[in-house]
Amino acid sequence: MGIKQKLQSIFLVNDEQSDTPPTLPDNQQEANLTGGEPVTLQHILDQFDDSADFIHKTYQSEHLDVLYFSHLVNEDRLERDVLPPLLNAESPVDILSEQSKYVRVTNAKKCVEGILSGMAAIFCQEQAYLIDVIFPVSRTVAESETESIIVGPHEAFTEQAYTNLSLIRKRVQSSHLKVIQLSVGEVTKTSVYILYVEDIANEKYIKEVINRIKNIEIDAVHDTNMLIQCIDDDPYSIFAQFLTTERPDTIASKLVSGRIVGIMDGSPTAFSAPVNFFEFFSSSDDYYQRWSIGTATLFLRFAALIITVTLTALYVAVTSFHYEMVPQNLLLTLTESRSKVPFPPIIEALLMEMTIELLREAGARLPTKIGQTIGIVGGIVIGQAAVQAGLTSNILIISVASSAIASFVIPNYVMSAAFRLFRFGLIIMAGLWGNLGLAMGLAYIVIHLSGLTSLGSSYLTPVAPFEPYDWKDVFLRLPFSKLVKRPTQVKANNKVKLKMKR
Amino acid sequence: MLKKFISWLLLVCIIPLSGCGDQRILESLGFIQTVSYDILPDGKLSISFSIPQADPETTANREVLSAVAASSKEATMKVSRETGMMVVSGQLRNVLFGQSMAEHGLHGHLDTLFRDPSISSQVKVSVVEGNAGELLIEDYKQHPRTGRYIDMLLEKEALGQTIPKVTLFIFARDYFDEGTDPVAPILKKHADNYITTNGIALFKDDRYVTKIEPQNALVFAFLKGSFREGQISLELADTGGDKEIVMFSSLISSRKVKVVHGTEGIEKVTYHVKVTGSVLEYIGDARLSNDRERHELEQRISKELTKKANAMISLMKQHQLDNIGIGKYVRNSVGYKQWKQMNWREELEKLPVECSFEVKIKDYGKFR
Repeated sequence: MGIKQKLQSIFLVNDEQSDTPPTLPDNQQEANLTGGEPVTLQHILDQFDDSADFIHKTYQSEHLDVLYFSHLVNEDRLERDVLPPLLNAESPVDILSEQSKYVRVTNAKKCVEGILSGMAAIFCQEQAYLIDVIFPVSRTVAESETESIIVGPHEAFTEQAYTNLSLIRKRVQSSHLKVIQLSVGEVTKTSVYILYVEDIANEKYIKEVINRIKNIEIDAVHDTNMLIQCIDDDPYSIFAQFLTTERPDTIASKLVSGRIVGIMDGSPTAFSAPVNFFEFFSSSDDYYQRWSIGTATLFLRFAALIITVTLTALYVAVTSFHYEMVPQNLLLTLTESRSKVPFPPIIEALLMEMTIELLREAGARLPTKIGQTIGIVGGIVIGQAAVQAGLTSNILIISVASSAIASFVIPNYVMSAAFRLFRFGLIIMAGLWGNLGLAMGLAYIVIHLSGLTSLGSSYLTPVAPFEPYDWKDVFLRLPFSKLVKRPTQVKANNKVKLKMKR
Repeated sequence: MLKKFISWLLLVCIIPLSGCGDQRILESLGFIQTVSYDILPDGKLSISFSIPQADPETTANREVLSAVAASSKEATMKVSRETGMMVVSGQLRNVLFGQSMAEHGLHGHLDTLFRDPSISSQVKVSVVEGNAGELLIEDYKQHPRTGRYIDMLLEKEALGQTIPKVTLFIFARDYFDEGTDPVAPILKKHADNYITTNGIALFKDDRYVTKIEPQNALVFAFLKGSFREGQISLELADTGGDKEIVMFSSLISSRKVKVVHGTEGIEKVTYHVKVTGSVLEYIGDARLSNDRERHELEQRISKELTKKANAMISLMKQHQLDNIGIGKYVRNSVGYKQWKQMNWREELEKLPVECSFEVKIKDYGKFR
C-alpha cells in the first residue's frame, strides 16, 4: 500500500490540498481588491508601496495628486497638454468632470488596473479620474521570420496588441469586424482580443471561444501559443487545435472566411479557430501565386508530410525485416553501406535522427553568426565523417536528411515539430515490428486525428465528415472563380463569398 | 486513474518485448538471386544457388553454393551450413530447370516456389538446354554477375518477343488452366563463355516435350497473342531462284481466333493475324516504293508466315500439345458439360486449325 500511495502522490494532484482556500499573501491582496472598495488616495498609495517606478506628484495649492508609472505614460503629453489647464484653472474639478477624456472612477480596483495599464490617475478633492496617456513601448512592424513568403505582403505582427489590431483593421475595413476584449491571467491580467466578422462568423463558435477564455484560471499567460493550450479541446494531443500565425494577411483571410481570431497583448502570434488538420499545410503563398502553381505546391507539401513521417521508419523496417521489398540493385548498395555499421538499423537511425535534432535545436537557439558555424560543423560531421567512420550507412544519411528537409516544408512550425517528434515513435515501432509496426503507428495517428476536434468541429473536416466541395480549396487550389463558398467547417452565416460571373 | 496509469506502464513494458522477433538484418543475409535444379540419375536433385556478395571485404561478386538433396528447402538448409550468412529466398529472380529435370516433370518441385510467401510470383522460369547447374556456376568474364546476366538477357529478349516472358504466375496459370499448356524460354551455355536464349520449350502439363527453334519464335508469338514490339527476319524462298530476304521491324500484331461450329460439333478453328511493320532491310528485286510490287511482297510474306504457322501447329498437334491456348477458345464456345466430356488432347489432334496472315508494310525506310 505504501508504494501505491507514493505513486499516487507523484502522479496525481492531491484533491484535498487544492480544495482548501489559498492562504498566500498575494491572494489576500486580490481578495481586498475585489471588494469594490471606494477609491481613496491612501488606498492607491498603499497598493503601490515598494514600487520604485511609481510616480506620485502632488500639487499642494491646487489639491491635485497625479499618479502614474513613468515608463507606461507619455510624460511629455502629460506635462504639456494635460496638466497645465488643470493647474491654471480656478476649479480643476469642473474641468475634470466636464471633459470626456477624464473618466471618473469610484472603484479602487478599476483605478489600480487603469494605472497598471498605463493611464494616469488624477486625484482632486477626494475624487479620482483616469486619463489615457498611454505610451506603448514596442518594436516596429518588421518582416515575418517564421513564416516568410516570396510573393505577397511581408509584414508580421508585433508584441503590441494595438499595433496588431491596427494591422488587421487596415486589411478588413468593415464595421462588421467586431473586437471583444477579455483579460487572462490572475496576476498578469493580459488583454486578449477576440475578433470576428459579424454576419459571417457563427455565434456558437464565438460564444465557445469567449467562454473558454473566461474560464481560464491561471496566474499568467505569456504567449498566444500558451493561451491556446489552455483552451484546447484535447490538451494531451501532440497536435495544435488552433492555427497560429504571425501574418496579418493570413489572419484577415481567416476572418472573412468566417473564422474567429484571437490576439493577445505581448504576443506576436494570433490564433484562428475552428481549424482543420489540412489548413496547417496551406500557406498564403498558394493564393498569391497562379492557381496551378499553388496546387502543385500543395501536392509537394503533402508529399513532404509522407516523406518526413515514413522515410526513415521505412528504412529501418526494410533493413531489419523486409529485404524482399527493395529492388536488387539498391539492395546491394544498401548491404554494402550497412556492412561496416556496428549497430542494428534502429539504433543507427535513432542516432542519426537525434544528431539532426540536436543540430536543429542548437541552430535555433544560437545567434545567427554562431548558427552558421553549427551548420558547417554539423554538415561535415553528419555528411562525411559519420559514414567514413562506419557509424551509419550513407543511404540512411540521405533518408534522414531528406526527411528533415521535408519536415521544414510544412509551413506551420508547430505542426512540423509535432510530426518530427512523432517520427521517433514510428522509427521505434518499425524497428520492433517492421512494416507491421509502421502500419500500426500510422493507424494510430489516423485514429487519433479522427478523434480530435477544434471548437467541437471535426479536425479532419473535408475528409471526415466528407465535404467534397471543400476539397477544391484544401487539397487543390483551384482558380478563385471556382471557390464560391466559404468552408463548411466554419458553418458561416453567409455561405457565398464570390458572386462574380466570369 | 492509477489503474489506467499502471495499465499504460504495463503496455509500454510489454510491447517492446514482443518485438524484434524474426528479424532479417540486411547485412547478415545471403539472398538467393538465381536457383538451378537438375535431376541426378538416382532421382535426387542437384540444386545450385547464386547469391550476390555485397560485403566489401570479399573480392568475389557472388557466392555459388550447391547441394544434393531431395527437396529445395532441404538444399537450402544444407548450403546454409557452408556460409556465414542467413540464406533467404525473398530476392529470388530466376529459376533455371535443367533439361533432364524439365523432361522428368516439374510440378512437385514448383510447389515450394508457389507455396513460400516470400517468393514473388514474378520470378522468371526458364529451361536450360543441358545442365542448369553448370550454366549457373560458370562466371562469364565479359558479362555482369551471372545471375544478373541471365536476368537482363531474359528481360530484354522478352521485350522483343523472341521468347515469351514466363513468370511463376504465368507458368502456374497455364499449368492449372484447362485448354492450354505452359511454355518456357530455353537458355543455352556456349563454350565461348556466353549464354544465349535458344528457343521456346513446349510443355505437356509439367513435362518438357519439344521446342520451337529460335528463328520461329516470332511465329509462336503471333499465334500466342497480340503484341506491339518485335522484329523478324524472313527468307522468302519461292521467288524463282533469287533469294529474297526481308527484315520486318516495329511489329504491331493483333490476333483473332474463331471457333467455327458445324453440324457435328466443332468444325474448325481459324487464326487470323494482322501484322503491320516497317521494312528495315530488304534484299531482293522488288521496288518497295511501287505500290503494286510492295503489295506483292506483302502477299509473299503472308504466305511464308502462314506456312510457318501451319508447320508449328501441326508440330503441336502431333505431340498433342496446346501451348498457344486453342483449347481456351474451344472451351469458351461449348458448354461445360460438353467440355468435360471431350478428351481435349485427342480432339486437338483431329481438329483442323487454319491460319491466315494479313501483312501490311506501313513504312519501307528512307531508301526509295
